[in-house]
Amino acid sequence: MQPESVPSAFRTQIRTALIIFLLLTLVTGLLYPLLVTGIAQVTFHGKANGDLIIHNGSIAGSALIGQPFSSPGYFWGRPSATTSYPYNPEPSAGSNIGPTNPELINAVSARVTALRAADPGNYLAVPVDLVTTSASGLDPDISIAAARYQVSRVAKARNISETDIAWLIDQNTQRPQYWLFGEARVNVLSLNLALDDLASHRIFVPVEKERVPDQEIATPFPGISEQDIFQLALYGVVLILLLVPFGRFMARVYTGEHTILTPVTAPVEAWVYRVIGTRPDEEMDWRSFAVALLVFNLTGIIVVFLVQQVQHLLPLNPAGLGPVPLDLSLNTAVSFATNTNWQAYAGETTLSYLTQMIALTVQNFVSAATGMAVLIALIYGLSRKSTEKIGNFWVLLTRGIIILLPVCIIISVILVSQGSVQTFSGPVTVPLLDPVKDSNGVLVTTQTIPLGPAASQVAIKVLGTNGGGFFNTNSAHPFENPTPFSNFIEILAILVIPVCLCYTYGRMVGSARKGIAVLIAMTIIFVPLLGLAIWSETGGNPAFTPLGVDQTGGALQPGGNMEGKEVRFGVPFASMFSIVTTATSCGAVNSMHDSFMPMGGFAQMLMMQFGEVVYGGVGSGLYGMLVFIIIAMFIAGLMVGRTPEYLGKRIEPYEMKIATIIIIIPIVLILTGTAIAALTEVGKAGVLNPGAHGFSEILYAVTSVSQNNGSAFAGLSVNSLFYNLITAIMMVTGRYLPAILTLALAGAFAMKKIVPVSEGTLHDHRPLFIIWLVFVIVIVGALSFLPVLALGPVAEYLQIVSGGLFHV
Amino acid sequence: MSDPDTRKDQVSLYKRAIIDAFLKLDPRLMAKNVVMFVVEIGSVITTLLWLQALSGHGEAPAAFIGAISIWLWFTVIFANFAEALAEGRGKAQAESLRKMRQDTEAKKLREDYRIVKNSMPDNSDYAVIPSSNLRKSDLYFVRSGDTIPLDGEIAEGVASVNESAITGESAPVIRESGGDRSAVTGGTVILSDWLIIRVTANPGEGFLDHMISLIEGAKRQKTPNEIALNILLIGLTAIFIVVCATLWAFSFYSVEVAGFGQVITVTTLIALLVCLAPTTIGGLLSAIGIAGMDRLIRRNVITTSGRAIEAAGDVDVLLLDKTGTITLGNRQAVELIPVDGNDINDLAEMAQLASLADETPEGRSIVVLVKERYGLRGRMVGAHETGPEMQFIAFSSHTRMSGVDIGPVSIRKGATDAIAHYMTENGNSVSPDLKAKVEAISGSGGTPLVVAKDGKALGVIHLKDVVKGGIKERFSQLRRMGIKTVMITGDNRLTAATIAAEAGVDDFLAEATPESKLRMIRDYQAGGRMVAMTGDGTNDAPALAQADVAVAMNTGTQPAREAANMIDLDSNPTKLIEIVEIGKQLLMTRGALTTFSIANDLAKYFAIIPAAFITTYPALAALNILGLHNAILSAVIFNALIIVLLIPLALRGVTYKPMTAEEALRNNIIMYGVGGIIAPFIGIKIIDLLLVLMGV
Repeated sequence: MQPESVPSAFRTQIRTALIIFLLLTLVTGLLYPLLVTGIAQVTFHGKANGDLIIHNGSIAGSALIGQPFSSPGYFWGRPSATTSYPYNPEPSAGSNIGPTNPELINAVSARVTALRAADPGNYLAVPVDLVTTSASGLDPDISIAAARYQVSRVAKARNISETDIAWLIDQNTQRPQYWLFGEARVNVLSLNLALDDLASHRIFVPVEKERVPDQEIATPFPGISEQDIFQLALYGVVLILLLVPFGRFMARVYTGEHTILTPVTAPVEAWVYRVIGTRPDEEMDWRSFAVALLVFNLTGIIVVFLVQQVQHLLPLNPAGLGPVPLDLSLNTAVSFATNTNWQAYAGETTLSYLTQMIALTVQNFVSAATGMAVLIALIYGLSRKSTEKIGNFWVLLTRGIIILLPVCIIISVILVSQGSVQTFSGPVTVPLLDPVKDSNGVLVTTQTIPLGPAASQVAIKVLGTNGGGFFNTNSAHPFENPTPFSNFIEILAILVIPVCLCYTYGRMVGSARKGIAVLIAMTIIFVPLLGLAIWSETGGNPAFTPLGVDQTGGALQPGGNMEGKEVRFGVPFASMFSIVTTATSCGAVNSMHDSFMPMGGFAQMLMMQFGEVVYGGVGSGLYGMLVFIIIAMFIAGLMVGRTPEYLGKRIEPYEMKIATIIIIIPIVLILTGTAIAALTEVGKAGVLNPGAHGFSEILYAVTSVSQNNGSAFAGLSVNSLFYNLITAIMMVTGRYLPAILTLALAGAFAMKKIVPVSEGTLHDHRPLFIIWLVFVIVIVGALSFLPVLALGPVAEYLQIVSGGLFHV
Repeated sequence: MSDPDTRKDQVSLYKRAIIDAFLKLDPRLMAKNVVMFVVEIGSVITTLLWLQALSGHGEAPAAFIGAISIWLWFTVIFANFAEALAEGRGKAQAESLRKMRQDTEAKKLREDYRIVKNSMPDNSDYAVIPSSNLRKSDLYFVRSGDTIPLDGEIAEGVASVNESAITGESAPVIRESGGDRSAVTGGTVILSDWLIIRVTANPGEGFLDHMISLIEGAKRQKTPNEIALNILLIGLTAIFIVVCATLWAFSFYSVEVAGFGQVITVTTLIALLVCLAPTTIGGLLSAIGIAGMDRLIRRNVITTSGRAIEAAGDVDVLLLDKTGTITLGNRQAVELIPVDGNDINDLAEMAQLASLADETPEGRSIVVLVKERYGLRGRMVGAHETGPEMQFIAFSSHTRMSGVDIGPVSIRKGATDAIAHYMTENGNSVSPDLKAKVEAISGSGGTPLVVAKDGKALGVIHLKDVVKGGIKERFSQLRRMGIKTVMITGDNRLTAATIAAEAGVDDFLAEATPESKLRMIRDYQAGGRMVAMTGDGTNDAPALAQADVAVAMNTGTQPAREAANMIDLDSNPTKLIEIVEIGKQLLMTRGALTTFSIANDLAKYFAIIPAAFITTYPALAALNILGLHNAILSAVIFNALIIVLLIPLALRGVTYKPMTAEEALRNNIIMYGVGGIIAPFIGIKIIDLLLVLMGV
């Protein structure tokens, strides 16, 4: 190849970037959602359009979206934190009130009082889900215990016998899905509709009432049932089963070997490369690779920004949403390009369907594929010798999409089958069974439920560890995550690529064991923090107990800290989702992290502060992990008396310099960012919760954006100029600086010779090194963040333990 | 080399080191060590805060700030002391080397002097000048009793030289022009005869001078591993600076929202920073490097770069000369084999007679073998006063036989073809039996020596290279360390293979030539391996120049010495193995102390964090698991004292045993990783208790 002048090479890159961006927008932004919508509308028409309940010939509401009930004659659902009126889906919202916030204690206390006042003489302990707000504010379910608690009140109000009402509850109880998933629960709207039927004699209680016996749930640990244990084990089993086949599939796609999809993808790939004018064997050195990556990502940021500015002029905007404010647009654009998917916006009330599709969904795909491309470049760098070439960015990007797209189609269809919406129709308005007054005292008689092509975006949001939801409350929203089984699938989808990439990596460097060793190291860090979060949440909030709230988990209620959690997932799998999402830099949430107990929040933050390498975002997690391995290998190498090497590549000052900077970047970003926010009035203005928990909100937010996670202690109001800008800066720095440095590292390693393995070589797949690696990651994370965590969650936790807080 | 470890020397060494520790506080010097420089800045700031507190406007009681400040200064001084001590010890070694280089008189030959073979220059040919005025390629003259003023190469003459000043070996050695023994070292003394020597290095630029300046630190360049480690340490320090700086903001915020308590003081933040920063390894890093070089000198090896020592730790292929390294260097008689039905005793007697006057090692070994195995007393030359006169025939390159004529009886011994020639001359033919036995010996890698009496073969003496005792175990240790040993020999493949198998080397290069050695090194290097070799001859020079670690024997030629990056003053080829171990030990010490330093931080957090924030969040007292009363001061004191406690380890190096990488890592992780976590918990608690006892 003739040496090109830099500007002309740069121009070529821009041209290529624009063409491929256009192609990928077409495929992932239009064809993909259209295809999924087509399948959904044909196969699951009802569910894809909001799972509407037709009652007595007219629409009575959605089976998945709860309605507010306040009359004594109806069963009440969970308290809702949505604005203007409870259960207002525009937008969905959680309370985000922290566990030690006096407001929370007051609110719970008031709700207990209200329940007691409505039903004098009922001295039963109040089930916790009945007095805590749900994550989405739209939770359609309550626990069996919560339904039974209300029997006496409803019976009195309706003048129906308590046994008949109890029978009705049995009839409307959903058992754990497929025996295994989620909690037994009661859909409040269905129950109340049935109650109306019973009262108006449209249905009758049979004389021989068949009581369903209460299920005996064995609980090996308080709040954790046998099914929960099975489900936890099932994640492990399924991931292990997928590890080799899917890991190998990804390796084969990247290396251009034959896969099951080759007959379809090969001609498409060839066509794409011809159009953009590249060839798989036309590889780049690290600088060109980095330039291509940056040009492409910058294109993405600009396009997403512009689309938001003109969305009112574009089609597929049934809700008629206007242009998005400049700072919010910028934040959102950066957030999606960097795979952070920080949601400063509320999807259902800010972004049109078209924006969600061609701007956000596209970025979900390409930002994930970008992360994976950097990883593959590093793998090439580590496994090749004496070359400058670390792969072709355009080819790796395309192949990343080839991996993501088919899996997304499968996940989308599963989600639709569970009740995720996938439609281009506008919002649907349904009547409220029990109209309520809004905050202005105006009677609300209808509920407007936003729909949209959600399933297709949720699929890539989890698979690509993006996390940006279609709706405000993300995967807590019943349309994003309708059932316990969809929750299982989403958790699995978040983990599958980061986990299986370990195998891909091992295979590509010529030793599957090396990849599996990395996976084991990640798991060693993951499991205790998962355990900590589950332990913390199932334990409940000690402040509720004196109020007469029953938080004991069992067969009839999930128990535990239910503030900001949905009944259908239960506490263990809300906790698990939160740890998985923080571990993987996904950032999707199915519960409100802000309302977790301090140690739950501690585990989430630590998961991110370990550098998002366990298991990390797709691609970025593993390349971050490889940097940690290089550091660990360096010290270990010294300890065995040899110039340290990894995969036969000597680790010399240049590599150490880059690796050290990569490790430092997020630490500096998080700590200085938190300091700036904590010291400025604009920073403090966003804080919702008082005391140490408020500090945790800032820390969590800055950690999340720096590490490109995107989840939040969402009580912090981040849609302000200050936060939109500071988080945008952090997302860009936290994403691209390490990525570019990783490419430089790949370039440096590629140039090196490979030192042959001998007895003196320290094997990086043996248990000893795995333990060492874990030690290094934990110690770097701990040393950097223990002091700041001590002032946040640790202080809050110790305050609870010492009982020094609740003298409110 | 004289050892400076006498009591008086020790005392002055420590005195000097203490003085240097203070002199090194000069910020211009400190700036080279980022970690310790940060500590020094912290010390200055706390001192200023102390002065402020004395004036009554302090952020904390003056006594507290003062105590912290003093111990921060100690931390810096202790680290400086470690470096100064290492330098001092190195200097002491260097000083004793330098003594030999004191300015002496040199007899410089005139510019136009022409060397005449075997002719000694006379008084008119030279002028006596100070040796410092000699320049490279000048010629000078030395004769018995003179001290050789400068390194050089012998241009003419043969002399016996006492090199004990360098090697410690008192037996004189022969040095002569040409060949592999032509180099002389400054400071050695001529015992007999005379030499004309060509100066190879200007005064102050010789190998030794280079080494001295290396130890003295002026020219000490950091090695790649040291630089890489330094980067990591700077990175960690940067992290901790950010941690501590932002902590002030977090504390400020927390006090604001909690509504009570005190914002963390700058003194506490600096104390925390110093405790967290990897001061243990940062303070000892250069001491470790200097001590590594010092250890090398103690083993009489000098080097021109620290890089070479480090490379030695990475070596994965050792090229070793067979002779002198693997075998004792001389072939020895191990067996007598009679042929054609001759009596073994007869053969033994004749072999002995033929060797009585043979002063070669082989000849002597025959006498010894006969004496020990066959019980024949050595017959003194001329003991048969009554018998016929003995006429010894010395080995000549013409007949290639030696032996003795006793009256009419002639006894000869020699190589097979020489004796065969001798036999045919006497009308005898080589019997099949003889032929078979000779081939059997050759086949086993030995050298057959045929003994003949009056033109008839009696039998064969089996001469064999004897492998040094313990060398096989040594090689298997090396193998466990991942180092491959390759034997280099001029022998034929068959002989080489036998010795190789016996010595347990991994590979061998037979019929080695300078080209084949060079090629072999390049092949290994192309495969990514690091190669070390020893050599002494001029023909070794190209290979030495190519090898990553090249050790020249001090007795070697000047080209060999120049091509090498280390010189072994003892000229002991097995030294290479020790050099490798020193290199590994150097890296291991750095790794171990880095691990220890970082692992220490955990305990310091548990000491300082609760103490720092307890006024804001009293609940954090639960983290004070040690129940400390003077947590911050105790942690700072521990942090300073641990440097002093680890100085001996830094200077001595961690215990090194040959083992696999896996074993080494496990041992070091347990010792310095786990130990590093536990030790400060205990140490800080003890210091705290002592402080309480002292009423602080």
